[in-house]
Amino acid sequence: MPRWAMVIDLDKCTGCQACVIACKAENNIPFVSPEQAAMGRTISWMEVIPIVEGEYPRVRVRYIPRPCMQCDNPPCTKVCPVYATFKNEEGLVAQIYPRCIGCRYCTAACPYTVKYFNWYAPQWPEEMRACLNPDVSTRPKGVVEKCTFCHHRLQKAKEKARAEQRELREGDYVPACVQSCPAGAMFFGDLDDPMSTVAQLARSARAFRLLDDLGTEPKVIYLIEGEWYGPRKRA
Amino acid sequence: MDGTTFKIERREFLKLLAGATSGMMLSGYAFNKLTPVGQAYTDWPERIERWVPSVCLQCSGGCGLMARVVDGNVVKLEGNPLHPVNRGRLCPLGHAGLQLVYNPDRIKTPMKRVGGKGSTQWVSIGWDEAINLLAERLGELRERGQPHSLIVLDGRPTGLMGALWERFCQAYGTPNHLPTDEPDGMRIAHRFMQGLDQLFGYDLENANYILSFGCQLLDGWRSPVQLARTYGYLRQERPGPRAKLIQIERRLSPTAARSDEWIPIRPGTEGALALGIAYVLIREELYDRRFIEQYTFGFDDWTDARGQHHKGFRRLVLERYRPENVSAITGVPVDTLIRIAKQFATTRPAVAIGGAEATLHSNGAFNALAIHALNALVGNLDLPGGVLIGEEIPFKRWPPINSDAVAREGRRRPRLDRAEGDAPWLDTLPLEALGERILNGTPYEVQAVFLYASNPVFSTPTSARFAEALERVPLVVSFASFMDESTAYADLILPDHTYLEKWQDGPAPPLSGVPTLGVAQPVIEPLYETRHTGDVILALARRMGETLAAAFPWTDFKEVLMFSVRGCYEARYGRVFSESFEGAFIRQLQERGWWIPQFSSFEAFWEELVKRGGWSGLFHEYGKWGHIFRTPSKRFEFYSQRLKAELEARAERRGQPLDALLEELNITARGDEVFLPHYEPARFAGDESQYPFHLNPFHVLVLNSGSGANLPWMQEIVGLHVHVKWDSWLEIHPETARKLGIADGDWVWVESPYGKVRIRAKLYPGSMPEVVNIPLGLGHTASGRWASGRGVNPYALIGPAADRLGGLPARYATRVKISKA
Repeated sequence: MPRWAMVIDLDKCTGCQACVIACKAENNIPFVSPEQAAMGRTISWMEVIPIVEGEYPRVRVRYIPRPCMQCDNPPCTKVCPVYATFKNEEGLVAQIYPRCIGCRYCTAACPYTVKYFNWYAPQWPEEMRACLNPDVSTRPKGVVEKCTFCHHRLQKAKEKARAEQRELREGDYVPACVQSCPAGAMFFGDLDDPMSTVAQLARSARAFRLLDDLGTEPKVIYLIEGEWYGPRKRA
Repeated sequence: MDGTTFKIERREFLKLLAGATSGMMLSGYAFNKLTPVGQAYTDWPERIERWVPSVCLQCSGGCGLMARVVDGNVVKLEGNPLHPVNRGRLCPLGHAGLQLVYNPDRIKTPMKRVGGKGSTQWVSIGWDEAINLLAERLGELRERGQPHSLIVLDGRPTGLMGALWERFCQAYGTPNHLPTDEPDGMRIAHRFMQGLDQLFGYDLENANYILSFGCQLLDGWRSPVQLARTYGYLRQERPGPRAKLIQIERRLSPTAARSDEWIPIRPGTEGALALGIAYVLIREELYDRRFIEQYTFGFDDWTDARGQHHKGFRRLVLERYRPENVSAITGVPVDTLIRIAKQFATTRPAVAIGGAEATLHSNGAFNALAIHALNALVGNLDLPGGVLIGEEIPFKRWPPINSDAVAREGRRRPRLDRAEGDAPWLDTLPLEALGERILNGTPYEVQAVFLYASNPVFSTPTSARFAEALERVPLVVSFASFMDESTAYADLILPDHTYLEKWQDGPAPPLSGVPTLGVAQPVIEPLYETRHTGDVILALARRMGETLAAAFPWTDFKEVLMFSVRGCYEARYGRVFSESFEGAFIRQLQERGWWIPQFSSFEAFWEELVKRGGWSGLFHEYGKWGHIFRTPSKRFEFYSQRLKAELEARAERRGQPLDALLEELNITARGDEVFLPHYEPARFAGDESQYPFHLNPFHVLVLNSGSGANLPWMQEIVGLHVHVKWDSWLEIHPETARKLGIADGDWVWVESPYGKVRIRAKLYPGSMPEVVNIPLGLGHTASGRWASGRGVNPYALIGPAADRLGGLPARYATRVKISKA
């Protein structure tokens, strides 16, 4: 079984947020009203986290695109009382909406804050329902949702490979955010295949993972900015 | 991916579904169209899926699209992997195109105003009626001998639609096809130093040192995805030494944040810094001596034919722009200046780019001249990693027009935006001054205004005046898709298709120097009773008959497009978009002078063109130094003879000595210095003692100067670095805020001599202490449910002002004061 992983090169990221909107379009993520947004209820499976550092005139802004980390040791699945969120055999942290009872234990447990609660049924003006992606379900009120690594694309890629009677190849399955990144800062593939791009990049001296010390073993690997912070020393 | 159709059979689909069920999603929700949980699904969709190539026309970037169409609806937009501009990538705005096409606030039918001027009552009318009505009104104007009193405000003047409008104006008889898109201030430097009235490209992918004077490279400049691709390439993909990006800017923009070094600079002094850098280059003899000697004019002192001695650029710079002087003007420390200058000189190829905030200023033209002079000093013109003078797309020429006497007479009238008479500048008027002319009826009354891709009431200083002007005009026609601020004043609304519903050319903006043309085709059937504005022009011309009808031998815009791209087929270079390896091979052949015809007939060419999404010239021929200096001296002119001639001619026409004209233009230099790159102090609206802060209205990629505001996804990500959604914000330096007693998130008043707005303050260490920043594009009073009433429009604060030489709008030259609300 492949171990799907994402690598994000922060040195190339321009903070444009194309990944954020690509995700929203692909996954039928509803927008919320400005009033709801002010209450922190905007849903954004992929979010760019800006970090403003330093004092004028030596100021830097770093942008960290943050999807679900698809942890190998996910804290969220352990607290789910109904097995609505679990790690599937391909290492993806799945979310079964009809099983979710909306207790939001997982939301609280996730150290990366990737889980979003549907405070009400998603609403679109009638016209906009026409452009929803038919491959992805819309979610009902009262359930938690999050980034799936565009799992539906994996289903399709597998079907296609099967139809062509071949194995899944690198590049067959790529989440919408990775596909769209204008700067080419994002990579996707099988971490267990030592020849894959992600596996090679994950071995880079610049590689690090968010909140690594929590032991969550995230499968999103970041590459730190090149010359600004100097090459990262290996322990 | 090639536009072919395949259909998923129901059995297959069920299998797919079974797969999904065992995975993470449950079938109950797998259809958004849309069965509630627990209810049996009976209405099986056809699920015919197609991928259709097209072009994103939201901004002028020209990205290629692949639109995923299921059951006749676009459900996803992705980049076209074959398109050389974006190579399969897309920016956030590109993805949100879905929310534009399926926006509930679109204008759905042609409409006419009832109840006369000033009323806000509209009725839907049919297209025939609309066109008859318009033809009648325009016919009347021609009968009265006033065709020149029609003005077409065109926000997208490049490409075939611009050409079609120009042709219409020519046949109809008005000189007033007026661009309203934001001008590129560097153009004036290209004109006076190289004699070329065109936009230059920049070969950033091959540059090692990019010195950007406020150019918003990563915030929507020209072609956002291409720039982001270039950035990623320079950062981690290109072998060899890491390229450096230096951002000289009054705000830590996303571009500055992602640069190697941000150099804050006092607003309006960019030209002085460029000259300070020139000083170091000249003083330390780090400039390209061979290029200067062979290809430039006016570097050293010279004597003209009459034996008069003239000052050269070298002497001027050495006398006037010592680093300590420049540092005092710009606020940039001397050691920084010297370091940057030395890096610029020694890290070749190095290129200097001027952005809007440096060049759309009261001294913008002189800043542009000074910045472009740096490129000449390092000899980096039309070379790899330098400034590129690109080729135009080889569109087939349209047949000449036989216009009648009325049209010829009308065309002889002065263009309304030309700086003549009351305006002493050399080039054009800013939009607000155009509004004043309409209002005053000078030099003649305007009887009709067309608004195409233009919203001047939103994006012009003193916009209330422009609104008044539109109210005064007897016939205002809008081609907008949304009821925007200007369309609200229209008597007739003829809504255009959105870009996914029509044929259109999508030329890429000049960057790589390679002419590139994307072809947009209808991805879906038009959702409403809208019509392609190109088709409307053709129908209008036919309806008006005579010479007008004869000037437009095409039945619809698709024919115009097909006629024009025949030029690409016949060009004997370039190729329909292809895989990069194939393209690389063909390019190599072409560089050696070979060209293999790809198609046996135009029909085959057209079919492939539409299927692949466009055509590219493939490569840029560098070093055409015989062609790129169209100046009197046939060289790059530090001392601009064209500027001299134009100023002298202008002074003569106005019957005044040159010095009096300079006085009127507020140009402080005299003598030879005027025609050399030099620093003219910037002027600001608002006195420093009363209005202590500079106002910096900045562009945000996702707002696209305002049209992004009605896309809810864009509102959700608008103020990333300050954590603001669905609203405007004022960026203020933390220390400045503390002195004023302002905390993060406080409401404040921002007041200029022209207006006052209430806005939330955000403390941002990336603001300069004396500069406050407000994003452009929010603060709509119309334009749709999500745009309207959100945030503030900084144009309410900006004063009407023009660059002193060219007359380009000086958008960045207003001062403000801040108080707690």
